[in-house]
Amino acid sequence: MALLSRQPWLVATGLLVPLLTLASPGWLKLDGVPPAWAVLWLLPWALSEGRRAGGAAGLGLGLLLDGLHGSPVSLVPGLALLGWWWGRMGRKAPPIQRSFSLGLLALVGTALLNLSLMLQWALLSWRGAASMLASVEALSGVAAEGLRQSGPQASLLALPIWRWQDLSLVGLQILLAQTLLTALLAPMLCSLQLIFWRQVGAGWRGSSV
Amino acid sequence: MAPVRLPRIGVLLPLLRVWPWLLVLLALAAVRLSKGALLTDAYGLLSRPFWPGSAQREWISSAQRLGDRARLDQLERENRRLRGLLELPAAQGRRLQAAVISREPGGWWQQLVLGKGSLQGIGAGDAVVAPGGLIGLVASTTPSTSTVRLLSDPRSRVGVWVGRSRNHGLLSGIGTARPLLRFLEKDPDVRPGDVIFTSPASTLVPPNLPVGVIQRINADADPAPEALVQLSAPADSVDWVQVLLP
Repeated sequence: MALLSRQPWLVATGLLVPLLTLASPGWLKLDGVPPAWAVLWLLPWALSEGRRAGGAAGLGLGLLLDGLHGSPVSLVPGLALLGWWWGRMGRKAPPIQRSFSLGLLALVGTALLNLSLMLQWALLSWRGAASMLASVEALSGVAAEGLRQSGPQASLLALPIWRWQDLSLVGLQILLAQTLLTALLAPMLCSLQLIFWRQVGAGWRGSSV
Repeated sequence: MAPVRLPRIGVLLPLLRVWPWLLVLLALAAVRLSKGALLTDAYGLLSRPFWPGSAQREWISSAQRLGDRARLDQLERENRRLRGLLELPAAQGRRLQAAVISREPGGWWQQLVLGKGSLQGIGAGDAVVAPGGLIGLVASTTPSTSTVRLLSDPRSRVGVWVGRSRNHGLLSGIGTARPLLRFLEKDPDVRPGDVIFTSPASTLVPPNLPVGVIQRINADADPAPEALVQLSAPADSVDWVQVLLP
């Protein structure tokens, strides 16, 4: 019931996240990397609603954002775990009010989210690398002459791969940029949202009890 | 004091008479030391009325443009005729202008979202070009939008060849701004500065669209040499792109 009373707000603000992700203004980007809007939305929601609602929101948001880029890696595991963790923290620990702690939580959360993506890319690359290298070797050795006429094979084109040295370099850069930006924005945005969710929640609890 | 000074002036008298010439000499030495700076400047100033005017420059460049365009038309006609003879796929079909409504050039996914989709005839796999050359392929479409996977995205794979030496390779995004070109031959004849185009043998992209310039070559890479490619189209700053419809 608590969820139901806040559903319009949940849906409306939740839909803002993919829209903001698509429309991140250039001046709010660091090195071309936008802040993690999903973390900025999920953190106050999970803190005020508990682990189950937090985990579910993380799952839903992850699915929504994955739809924006048909990618083999997914935001779902990272966001769902973060929602669950923050929800648990919101219930178990004394209430988190200080904006400094919000910034710190957003920092750790964004870093973990990016690490989960990096880990997925690394696994994919590790799996794809062997078959990729084998097929390139076969082509470059034997069929070089035939290749001159026929061009690269279509089967080669389909393998997603991120070389380890690029992944560690680029991934780290993305991670640092996004973590920094999100942690800077979190104290401002998250504390306002936290107050909002608590007010909406208090209104409902007051009327029902 | 006075009787002492007089003889000195007498000694300096010849010098006093020729001092203007000494100044002239000094000025000439200055011109020599500055490698004729004043001289050429004076010449430029004097001859300015006789310089070829802007109108003449304009005529020449417009004539050159006209000649280039006529030559390009002729070459394209010739190319179409030859491709027809060889029964290769046609160079390109219709071009559709589309606005970029969202861009994500950095981060984990390098993509653009265009304001036109399957209702306008765009399908997955269509090539997208910007001023400068190819920037990516359409990855997916919705009725009114389409998502373009940029060449720098780690999922992007495009068959290319070096225009000069006709060595084929595979251009793979590696997440950085400069994608990696893996050659499919052990010993390709390439050097930095070579321009690469989409492969005319590839079935996935229209042939011979400019892609970029080879910047650095790693000849020792295993199993085949690799090169870093500077893309020629600025994907992170374009507002309008063209989708090549098949």
